[in-house]
Amino acid sequence: MGSVLGNQKTREIVFQAVVLSVVAALLIGMVMNTRASLEAQSLTTGFGFLERSTGWDFSFSVLPYSISDSYSKTILIGFLNTLLLGFLGISLATIIGVIIGLVRTSKNALFSMLGTVYVEIFRNVPLILQAIFWYSIVTQLPRPKSALSLGDSVFLSGRGLYFPVLNIAMWSVALMILLIIAWLFFLPWLRHKMNHSSSFFLIKRIGWILLPLILVLIGYLARTPDTPLLNMPALKGLNFKGGMRMPPELSALVIAIALYGGAYIGEVVRAGLMSVPKGQIEAGFVNGLKPLHIFSRIRLPLAIRAVLPSLTNQYVQLMKATTIGIVVGFSDLFMIISTSINQSGQTLELLAILMGGFLVINLSIAFVMNSINKKIAIKGYEVKS
Amino acid sequence: MSVINNRLIPTVVAGCFAALSLVSTSASAENGDTLKAVNDRGSLLCSGHNGSFPPFVQVTDDNEWSGYDIDYCRALAVAIFGSDDNLKVVPISWAQRFPSLQSGDIDVVIKATGWTMGRDTELGIQFSVPYFVGATNVMMPKELGSTSPETLEGGSLCANAGTSTERLAANFFKSRGIEIEMITFEKSEETRDAYFAGRCDSLVGWGPNLAVTRQSAENPDDHAMMDVALALEPESAAMRQGDDNWVDIVNWMFAATWIAEANGITSANVDEHKANPADSTVEKLLGVSPGIGERLGLSDDWAYNVIKQVGNSAEIFDRNIGGESVYKLDRGLNALWSDGGVIVPMILD
Amino acid sequence: MTEASIALPPQTPFSQRIKKSLFATPLDCLLTLICAFFFTYIIYLFVDWAFLSSIWRADDEPLCKEAGGACWSVIDARHRIIFFGLFPFEEHWRSTLACAVMIVTFIASCVPWFWTTMKLSALWIAGFATFYILMHGGLFGLSVITPERWGGLALTLFIFAAVSIIGMPLSIVLALGRRSKLPVIAKMFGLFIDFFRSLPLLTILFTAAVITPFVLPGWLQGDKLYRVIVGFAIFFAAYQAENIRAGLQAIPSGQDEAGLTLGLNYMQRVTRIQLPQAFRNSLPAVVNQFVITFKETSIVTIVGFFEILASGSAAFGTGQWTVHYIEVYVFIGAIYFVFVFSLSRYGAYLERKLRVGHG
Repeated sequence: MGSVLGNQKTREIVFQAVVLSVVAALLIGMVMNTRASLEAQSLTTGFGFLERSTGWDFSFSVLPYSISDSYSKTILIGFLNTLLLGFLGISLATIIGVIIGLVRTSKNALFSMLGTVYVEIFRNVPLILQAIFWYSIVTQLPRPKSALSLGDSVFLSGRGLYFPVLNIAMWSVALMILLIIAWLFFLPWLRHKMNHSSSFFLIKRIGWILLPLILVLIGYLARTPDTPLLNMPALKGLNFKGGMRMPPELSALVIAIALYGGAYIGEVVRAGLMSVPKGQIEAGFVNGLKPLHIFSRIRLPLAIRAVLPSLTNQYVQLMKATTIGIVVGFSDLFMIISTSINQSGQTLELLAILMGGFLVINLSIAFVMNSINKKIAIKGYEVKS
Repeated sequence: MSVINNRLIPTVVAGCFAALSLVSTSASAENGDTLKAVNDRGSLLCSGHNGSFPPFVQVTDDNEWSGYDIDYCRALAVAIFGSDDNLKVVPISWAQRFPSLQSGDIDVVIKATGWTMGRDTELGIQFSVPYFVGATNVMMPKELGSTSPETLEGGSLCANAGTSTERLAANFFKSRGIEIEMITFEKSEETRDAYFAGRCDSLVGWGPNLAVTRQSAENPDDHAMMDVALALEPESAAMRQGDDNWVDIVNWMFAATWIAEANGITSANVDEHKANPADSTVEKLLGVSPGIGERLGLSDDWAYNVIKQVGNSAEIFDRNIGGESVYKLDRGLNALWSDGGVIVPMILD
Repeated sequence: MTEASIALPPQTPFSQRIKKSLFATPLDCLLTLICAFFFTYIIYLFVDWAFLSSIWRADDEPLCKEAGGACWSVIDARHRIIFFGLFPFEEHWRSTLACAVMIVTFIASCVPWFWTTMKLSALWIAGFATFYILMHGGLFGLSVITPERWGGLALTLFIFAAVSIIGMPLSIVLALGRRSKLPVIAKMFGLFIDFFRSLPLLTILFTAAVITPFVLPGWLQGDKLYRVIVGFAIFFAAYQAENIRAGLQAIPSGQDEAGLTLGLNYMQRVTRIQLPQAFRNSLPAVVNQFVITFKETSIVTIVGFFEILASGSAAFGTGQWTVHYIEVYVFIGAIYFVFVFSLSRYGAYLERKLRVGHG
């Protein structure tokens, strides 16, 4: 018996070693082949081109740039644009998804029917087609001269949505966002640490009063000198100047991703809401909670815990879906890489950067969501959809 | 269910980059033999478009490729095989022209491709003699009031992604200190629709294509060309570097259509000219006296076949762009030098 | 999950049910009325645009501007380009027939009678072969039409079918490989699956189209279309493998051990015990993956193929029809909707049926 077992072990090890070496040989063969075909066409490889200036322009950037900027900076801008698009799209999709999930589980038959119609329409048409559709709608809006305006400060035209912003430096905005996030993470930790004692509530209250004051102070210190407090958009020549702008390419994609993702997330939320045991809700009633509180304290938290893994999947999917930005001319990471390939010819390197970029984004989403899941999970309580 | 395995993937990424560093090469030219590959395959792979780019590449009502560039693809197929049945037009986007050429998906790019130094040196590409020149220009609505570049200050411009016009326009407006927002699209149709939808104040385009785009507007008179042209761009066929014979074939294919026009040889009268050649150039061109084929590795009657089946350069222009087409554009600079154009046929000896 | 809908008490009279579900409280009343009004208005707008004020015949195109509604003339004039792409005009019957064969194959494979490995493989191989012969020709006196002239709906269906045919067996191999008891094998397959799952499809298609010619030796390259299909199939298989793996994990381990004591070897245990149950467990997820894949075929247009979206833009690509792109997009959207909606309804039906069966 022992020798047979030993034999099988040996066989397994030999088998695995053979498979491993075959795979390694294949990979090496591919590398050699690539090398040979590159040499045959006298193409050079390497990442040196990243420091060269691009000489071409693109439509949207979160950072200031010019056509004499390097490829590395251009690619970084593409990466940030993708992040922005993904962030806006996913946030909106989540909001829509929660609403749709609620509507679909509503007792009102008309509501749940409308919810179903919504889900079926937006889930069953390819996202790329929806993006093209919304883009053609958004660009049909009036020209800047006859833009729709709200109190002469927010303007909507075929060139995008313009709204006023504070005249403050970029770094301070980042700092403020960081502060808010830190505070929001600090609170639960503190609550856990101090075990709901009365001094915790005191700290919480002081914090909520101090936070806005600190934010205002930062904003005041970071003001651009010699400018009015508000940067208002105003029509100058062919287009608006000043203010903050949401270009139509970005709006169309955000709308498309939000509506499409909303349909999917709506289904996930619905599954979650329906998975909440009736007993829990009845217990809430018995304890005299209002319907709103039953929803916000019992149903939603339980539902979200139940569907967090499915939700993570949807987020990763939506993030990947941002690559269709190219069909409406939004300069996301894929479009920047695609143009760079054509203008510089460094195909292999640029595609490696593209893949690396998406791996980083998707792994981060998975990491963050998995950690949240681990923190709040209730064991054995999970549904898949 | 964990979505993605967190630890394994960075290893793969690191592996990929390591592999990339392994494949770095030093430049060394090697003669590829495209003609042999084309003959072995039995077909010529020429560039098409993922949609249409009238009047150079478009799809007719009965699902056939047509256009000025497509006719030159046909001429090349005829020169090699004696018939354009062996032509395969591969649909590719603007941005995929050169990667497809590098990877061998196509043998030649004849697709309104401008000859730029970057492409010539960095992309591993070799160009033929220019076969068409066209001005890169900017179209804008007349309602803007003026057609000077300064009118567009603060406005926006639509362009095709990954084209030479994209770079030309960026540079043109930057050098004049005019701030302009450039929006680029993957497909020509998207670019054009964005302009007509009013997304952009102006459309940068090239040569006859811009003129055709203007004609397709609901009211062509509403649109005007900017009073300064960005550049006069020479268009050439693009091929992989390092195959001199292949470049020769493409060059002389163009030349044959020009020489035929210069000598008044058309697809209708080519047989008469072959029977009674006027001079030794015509004799050589039509293969009456040997030499034109052998030196390129083709048959001696290749030029005769091209003229017989596709026509001379004047016929190709008239059919697709000029009087016989729906666009009816002037030939202008693209006429032979003897008619006031810039096309100069090489010498056939 | 949908217990409620199944357990609806059928005895309640219809009018009472309506009252209870629509007009329970005054607030409900108000919301219902507002909703109903908006819904009707949107439907009216659409019907007016699409049917009441629309122009249908190609020759009537000049009337479109005045009518104000949809100008379906563009579809009348250019539908052949949308459906057939660059396929030679006089051979369109072949493309039509091929599409019909493919659709019949799809429908047939939804019938449970076909659900054995033998029958399903035979059906798909026969359907696919017929499709290929009709499209490609070269046999039975049909002229040869090479893939770069295929287009429109036929190409979309071809890509979808080819991805399924290559992807399904591959996904089973991947799922089994990942569950292998040998650590190196399991890790390797896991790595492969996770790698492809974390990349956008577009990146993979682009790599398949542009990079693989450098990486693979010449004899392995094949046409760009086939490279893209193989890339797509690997992506599909990576997702499908995870669905099947979930189905495999749900099988109690006693089953496999029972097979082992009966003296069945690995292949027998996999084909007789594990896979049938795994498929039953994961059928809704597997069908859902097909739904997603059908929609994602539209992304192929970005790497330069004449599938239905690209041939749609070629359809309005000539001067006369430029302004009518909305109609073309709505038309293509409707075509997608018909396919995807029926497939997803079928998936929902299966899910209900299976749950009842289990209960």
